[in-house]
Amino acid sequence: MFKTTSLIVALASVSLLSLNAAAQEDVTITIWSLDDEKQPALNLAREFSEMDNGITVDYRQIQFDDVVSESMRAFATGQAPDIIAVDNPEHALFAARGAFLDITDMVANSQAIDPDNYFPGPLNSVSWDGKIFGVPKATNTIALYYNKDLFAAAGIDAPPQTWAELVEDARTLTDPANNVYGLAFSAKASEEGTFQFLPWAQMAGGGYDNINAAGAVEALETWKVILDEKLASPDTLTRGQWDSTGTFNSGNAAMVISGPWELNRMLDESKFDWGVALLPVPEEGAPRSSAMGDFNWAIFSSSKHPDEAFQALEYFASQDDRLFPEFGQLPARSDIAIPETGIALKDAALKVFQEQLQYAQARGPHPEWPKISKAIQDAIQSALTGQMSAKNALDQAASTISGVLGS
Amino acid sequence: MSRLLSSLRDGKGFDIVLVAVPLLFLVVLSGLPLLYNVVMSFQEVDLFSLGTLNRPWVGFDNYVTVFSQPETWPILRNTAVFVCASIAGQFVLGFGLALFFSLKFPGAAYMRGLFLVSWVMPGLVVGAIWNWILAGDFGVLNYVLKSLGFISESIFWRSDTNWSLWAVIIANIWLGTAFNMILLSVGLASIPKDLYEAAALDGATGWQRFWTITLPMMRATIGAVVSLGLIFTLQQFDLFASITSGGPANSSNVAQYWAWELSFRQYDFARGATVSVVMIAVVMLAAIVYVRSTKHEVRG
Repeated sequence: MFKTTSLIVALASVSLLSLNAAAQEDVTITIWSLDDEKQPALNLAREFSEMDNGITVDYRQIQFDDVVSESMRAFATGQAPDIIAVDNPEHALFAARGAFLDITDMVANSQAIDPDNYFPGPLNSVSWDGKIFGVPKATNTIALYYNKDLFAAAGIDAPPQTWAELVEDARTLTDPANNVYGLAFSAKASEEGTFQFLPWAQMAGGGYDNINAAGAVEALETWKVILDEKLASPDTLTRGQWDSTGTFNSGNAAMVISGPWELNRMLDESKFDWGVALLPVPEEGAPRSSAMGDFNWAIFSSSKHPDEAFQALEYFASQDDRLFPEFGQLPARSDIAIPETGIALKDAALKVFQEQLQYAQARGPHPEWPKISKAIQDAIQSALTGQMSAKNALDQAASTISGVLGS
Repeated sequence: MSRLLSSLRDGKGFDIVLVAVPLLFLVVLSGLPLLYNVVMSFQEVDLFSLGTLNRPWVGFDNYVTVFSQPETWPILRNTAVFVCASIAGQFVLGFGLALFFSLKFPGAAYMRGLFLVSWVMPGLVVGAIWNWILAGDFGVLNYVLKSLGFISESIFWRSDTNWSLWAVIIANIWLGTAFNMILLSVGLASIPKDLYEAAALDGATGWQRFWTITLPMMRATIGAVVSLGLIFTLQQFDLFASITSGGPANSSNVAQYWAWELSFRQYDFARGATVSVVMIAVVMLAAIVYVRSTKHEVRG
């Protein structure tokens, strides 16, 4: 009897000891993101870990292509990190299945995170079913870059405002003898193609859930005119935005539709004067729209330390004003002014991108986004290669998408 | 005990160990994943059920869905064209080079070795380089063809639905020719020289010697080269990813790239697995041909 009691006491004191030790030890949260040492997430995570707040961060860098499959696998086997940075169109995939933590109440009580400060597009991308499942990490959008020297040489004094002007200007600027195309963009059969096409459809009254609207058909027909008349390189069909913009930088395209991630490279490579304009609209007075890119932060619902994880997100959000000066990324917030860089071309361009951001719309959000996006890509490609008319291609996409939305 | 040990060292036990080790290796590293893949093709799978085998069974539903999609038959046709054209190109060029280097001239062995460089290069690097060569507006190939007067207007190899598959085939032939050449060179070297001497004495022409000695003696090697070619070609993924991404409008999409797209772009793992199972069946056929042809080789 005595023996048993002492054993119990001994056991109890051992477990007490370990409890004490645990209380003194830091809570460790894991963060997965694709940022490297030149990008914000890794640096902010390190700073947060080094703060004297009893929280240590275990940071893991993952590759862009692996984000979804790695984290899904981890979640399915109970190994998910506490925090993940996920590409915004894929946010709903996790949120709708309960993989991400609903942080609506946490945000409501937070000093550092106020939903009203965010641009509507990014905020929409972290929302699902009226609740908030994450915090936008940064944002970007697309607008129209144009080569001012080529415009001046062709006698065009302002960038195009409407689709008709865009096509007309592209015709004037296209110069096969000098290997110059009027326009460069990407209609690639990947998320990039959807990213570039959706704003056109949205400006004309379409959308992913209404992809065969008359305006969307007109948008695709306009793209077809641009390709059929060789106002843009036929390689537009297989080339991503980065390579397409490369042809603009080398002077082989007079205009390009791309995002602020190109600014630094363009400053390095281009040997001409250039500017940025808002995406042309279907006709004067039509509503504006643009694409919305970049990643969101989210907490996995399986996290054992949701409060500590949310503290980390609060810290990241509180540092949003450093995103641009230190890392060249645009915060997803309208309450943060982008400081002047002192480089005239860049500052002028950033003003336009800031304005364009107000019209940026999230893709989806929908948990089956990859399938919706694929239907749109297929429509773009079969119309532009002449296998189907724009109308039929988009009708087919609409029926595929309604199947996805219905299920 | 000692009998068991001695049997292990030299006897039936040793034979069993010899068979068991590779068998175990195959089962664990190939068999189980294959089985997993086959099982997935009969289930309803999404990202959240990846970690478990306990998923709803759907019978042949995935197969029905895959084969009723409009892109399926064009993609399977592309796969067949890709495989046949790649193997034919690799084999003919590889055989030609092997015959060429079997003529003894100074430096032949070294130069033959250098050809292997193409085989050593990672597919993504090869793809990136061919991407530049095949680029429509400023690609080297268009420049050369134009300078030689073969074409007057640039061919958009990667973006023209008539050419995109051929763009990948050209790159794949370049990549695989060296491997074919080396295997065929080995086969050529093992043909006894006295056969040719005897034939020459009987007055056989070069063509007759090739047709009646070289080809029949090479039968086993050729069988192996072609079936390995089939397997390597059906595995070819990097070139598609880096040159055309299967586009435009699926005109250069093939089964292996499509399976990846379904699984890792649309997260439809069941359909991705289904396409892979269909491919496994084809590769199995090739493997049987390969095994039979090497069997023939052993018997001499």
